[in-house]
Amino acid sequence: MARIKGYPEALETKLRDRYMYGEDAHPEFTDTVEKISMTIPHMCYQCGTCTASCPSAPRSSYRIRKFVRRALLGLETEALTDPDLWLCTTCYSCTDRCPRDIAPTDVIMAMRNLAFKRDIIPVNFLKTVQAIYTTGHGVPNNDVNRAARVKLGMDADPPTTHTYKEFIPGIQKILDYYKLKANADRIVKEREG
Amino acid sequence: MEAKHKYAFYLGCIAPNRYPGSEAAAIKTSRKLGIELVPLKGASCCPAPGAFGSIDLNVWYAMAARNLVLAEQMKIDIALLCNGCYKSIWEVNHKLKHNDELRDGVNEVLKTIDMEYKGSINVFHLAELLYDKNIVGVDKVRDSVTNPLTGARIAVHYGCHLIKPRKDREFGATEILDTEAPTWMEELVGALGATPVEYRQKMQCCGAGGGVRGYDIVHALDIANEKLINLQEVGVDALTDICPFCQLQFDRGQIEIEEKFGVKYNLPVLHYCELLGLAQGMSPQDLALDLHAISCEPFLQKVL
Repeated sequence: MARIKGYPEALETKLRDRYMYGEDAHPEFTDTVEKISMTIPHMCYQCGTCTASCPSAPRSSYRIRKFVRRALLGLETEALTDPDLWLCTTCYSCTDRCPRDIAPTDVIMAMRNLAFKRDIIPVNFLKTVQAIYTTGHGVPNNDVNRAARVKLGMDADPPTTHTYKEFIPGIQKILDYYKLKANADRIVKEREG
Repeated sequence: MEAKHKYAFYLGCIAPNRYPGSEAAAIKTSRKLGIELVPLKGASCCPAPGAFGSIDLNVWYAMAARNLVLAEQMKIDIALLCNGCYKSIWEVNHKLKHNDELRDGVNEVLKTIDMEYKGSINVFHLAELLYDKNIVGVDKVRDSVTNPLTGARIAVHYGCHLIKPRKDREFGATEILDTEAPTWMEELVGALGATPVEYRQKMQCCGAGGGVRGYDIVHALDIANEKLINLQEVGVDALTDICPFCQLQFDRGQIEIEEKFGVKYNLPVLHYCELLGLAQGMSPQDLALDLHAISCEPFLQKVL
């Protein structure tokens, strides 16, 4: 509850709106991001320690501080359609150093989850899903490696889903539960024909 | 030596499918240090925290939980050798143990494949077990060396996801909680007889994570290139890592950096398990070092 300070009514209204939501803001975006990320972007005071710690910042226009601000201001479309969203290497340096105990990295992950709901996703992410659906591995074995393994005295395939293929249907069931494979196939087809 | 500690060996993808020498070395060197690594049959990709975490965190939780349940069924803790896998397997285990709502959600999915996550096991990185005095410790590692890597200057790339974010992590050895200027890996390198070397921005990321290597490879390589420049500045014979994905980024990445940026470093990149293997007398053939994109020969000539 904002304190009444005797300002003109318009200013009182503005002060009661702690997040200063503008016309293009979606206030529920702040809550959704906080729920998925399990962190607290609304505590950010924009010191910029995150951007200063970020290995992607010096070589691109990606500014993690800006994304945390967008979370706080409810600027959903601005955040989710910015291609810089995908330049976070998830190194967690910002999270380690944030003086407000926010995990900016997890804010990015939450935003990426929400972007995917709008089919905004780089294709390479979906290809990893497709590989795991078929083999259980994001980086599956190949013939050169199989030969090397045999030379080492190991089985050609590791004792994972590569050898125990009976586990693959279980993995497919999990991915299908979230309709992930169907969505991945659909989006890859739309992009690549 | 009879194994005092037994773990289910979670392999992940890149170690067994690209650098199988690390897997072979991990099993052999651990045995000499009193650790028995048994296969975790039917394990899958952890799944890749960058790719799956970005798409849908709920899928990431459920897929990692399936791997955890395999070890729970064996009633045995997990050991692994990849920072990315650690992020998925350790962190999901930690989250599910402490968040009932998440655990219930995951178990609803796992029920469809007759599995239930109970939270009955723990997850460790091999590097952390090697450093922890209560399991192995630096002294025991030193005692196991038969072929000291004397004269080799070796720098460490710690990578990100074993130690960061620090506030979530818990380690037996508190030295591992230092994410700004740690030296515990340098101690482990020194135990092999090599000279550990410090360099600028040692704790910087390799650039591959978060799906960036697949999304914008030039951007990812530029981050790795900055580290390679800093390494060249101090002069090292090899770079060691504890994450096969970082290893791939620095090893194969050097070929890609040459193609895209026109610079050449020829810096051998070895997983710490591979180094430990060499120091315990394994041959380069035992470690399939010929699979590395960057030849390890100049380094091997120095230490063998």
